[in-house]
Amino acid sequence: MQKLYINPLPVRIWHWANAIGFILLIATGVQIRYLDLIQVVSFRSAVIAHNWIGFVLIGNFFLWLGFYLFSDKIKVYHPELSPTKYFRASFRQLQYYGYGIFKGDPNPHHMSAYRKFNALQSMTYQIIMLLIVPLQFFTGVLLWDVTGYASMVEMFGGVRVVDTVHVLIFIFFTGFIFVHPYLASLSHTPWAHYKAMITGYEEIEGEAPPGGVSR
Amino acid sequence: MGKTTWNFCRKSLLVIGVALLPYFVVGTVHAEEEGLSTETKACLKCHDKQGEEKILDNKEKLSLHVSTKAFEESEHRKTDCEDCHSDIDAKNHGKVKKPIESKRAYSLSMKDSCRECHKKPFKVYEDGLHAALVKAGDEKAPLCSDCHNSHTLRSVKIATPIEETPCANCHEDIFKAYARDVHGLERAVKGKAAPICGTCHKTHDVKAASFGDGIKDNCLGCHKKATAQHKDWLPNAARHFEAISCPVCHSPDAKRRVNLRLYDNAAKKQLTEKTGVPRFEKRAKAADLSNIGLDEMALWSLLTEFNRESGTQNAVLRGRLEVRSGVEAHQISEKSKAVKDCDTCHRPGAEAFQSVTLTIADPDGRPIRHGVQKDVLNSLTAMESIRGFYAIGSTRIKLLDYALLAVLLAGIGGPLGHMTIKWLFRKARERRLTAQVDTRTMAGDRRHDEASK
Repeated sequence: MQKLYINPLPVRIWHWANAIGFILLIATGVQIRYLDLIQVVSFRSAVIAHNWIGFVLIGNFFLWLGFYLFSDKIKVYHPELSPTKYFRASFRQLQYYGYGIFKGDPNPHHMSAYRKFNALQSMTYQIIMLLIVPLQFFTGVLLWDVTGYASMVEMFGGVRVVDTVHVLIFIFFTGFIFVHPYLASLSHTPWAHYKAMITGYEEIEGEAPPGGVSR
Repeated sequence: MGKTTWNFCRKSLLVIGVALLPYFVVGTVHAEEEGLSTETKACLKCHDKQGEEKILDNKEKLSLHVSTKAFEESEHRKTDCEDCHSDIDAKNHGKVKKPIESKRAYSLSMKDSCRECHKKPFKVYEDGLHAALVKAGDEKAPLCSDCHNSHTLRSVKIATPIEETPCANCHEDIFKAYARDVHGLERAVKGKAAPICGTCHKTHDVKAASFGDGIKDNCLGCHKKATAQHKDWLPNAARHFEAISCPVCHSPDAKRRVNLRLYDNAAKKQLTEKTGVPRFEKRAKAADLSNIGLDEMALWSLLTEFNRESGTQNAVLRGRLEVRSGVEAHQISEKSKAVKDCDTCHRPGAEAFQSVTLTIADPDGRPIRHGVQKDVLNSLTAMESIRGFYAIGSTRIKLLDYALLAVLLAGIGGPLGHMTIKWLFRKARERRLTAQVDTRTMAGDRRHDEASK
């Protein structure tokens, strides 16, 4: 069993801050939207907390963006430009999660420092990090001061449209927050990926592929 | 100039001043005594008799009594009777019967005489709602004399006793509510320091209170710190100020409603009916044949018609929370009793969202309303029509709630299902693993045997 340094410190800080922040945003968001069902704190406190956590996470996002823009680790997000290769790899990965994993097939994706994500992950995380998360922050800021950003709100079709986009993304992340931890448990041990996001080192079965810092 | 000369001048001026003082005093007293002219006194000689009245054509009784005392104390004391009653011929006055149709007709005929002296306020009045109602033929719309008794009117600098406020003549219910609310109670104690009708609604420049931003700016005119104070505790305070009228929170017992106002997005003002070409009521009734309120499709088609007519997409709906009646707008409570609890509105089924109306302003600014079904506020298909109105929690789109539920079920059920299938296949995996180990062991043994040979 080899150990590869896959998750640098800035990524780990960003990840856990983001995880805690998203859970808090979802919790306060649920209370704001469903006051009739859940009321742990007052509506006003939930709104104020939601706003503050949102701004902290916007800052955190730029930590993530800055790290990847100014380090060679950005390669982990480089898309596979050959559609054939990409779809073949995605299909293999889907086949693994949908069938092979039950039989005990090996994971078709072999992790390295610059190939951290499998085909499914690389596309999903690109969309999430470069489209969905910024859009959620953007709509959140517009809703934080609807009058201040009135012209932009109007440009996007009005406050109801902006809110609906914000809620749709909230629904997506609510699903994500359940599916992501489960998928993270599908390693050779249930806690291997969790540990890796704390220590930075992933345990790789067999010999480490070239390009990774191993120990 | 030498010091001696200066002192001489000062003393001389003092002596002259003292010497002339009696003339000033006497002169002033004389002027006061001169308040009523000889002609006016002659008129009052007959008219200051209680019970003097004239039977009009419509059998109404017009009082002809003018109290000399009240007139002397009035602002018009220096005005001669003839200045206003110029049509009277002294030679045959009282001898020849002059028919008058009604009190209203007489007030209308006298209206222009006010204009002669009070040009500015008269112009303002003519631009206001009251004059517009008069022009439209409203028999109850106020003329000058309905609010100002020309024979007894006092200076505006003297506070009118609250019970004599002329607005109460027509707006009795509203006035009674005002008299019991925080402003009215304060007026009774503090007099002019507290607001009365004209403070907020203006005396002559009366506009429809619900038009545009209503009278919010007038509230903020006195409550100058209100904007900053709201910002201190209220998230999105500016939006609340924009979409909610002050009494919604400050009349805590009032019933509220959502007013969807037709708005011209290019001109940035409320849409108004064209004079003489009413469109709104006809279209609203055609779209709501059962008269149960407009649904989302009817609302959309109505909006489309307004846009088709103008050839633009400028007609939009702007939602606003307001109280349901003028009486409720005048039940302002003390600050401590104002609604501060966000839950009042930001929860499903909140009272404020149970009544919805669609409004266009008539040419005078007054609202013309048609009912809208309340479910429109929670409908996905009404998204485009009411895109500019949204209140968190209370007007949320129901379909998104179902979407969240589906995603939650999938998010929890998916991993659980996957986990279950994995658990069910555990023996197959173990068997495969054992077979792989056995194969490796056998292969290892074979290599070992071959090596030994």
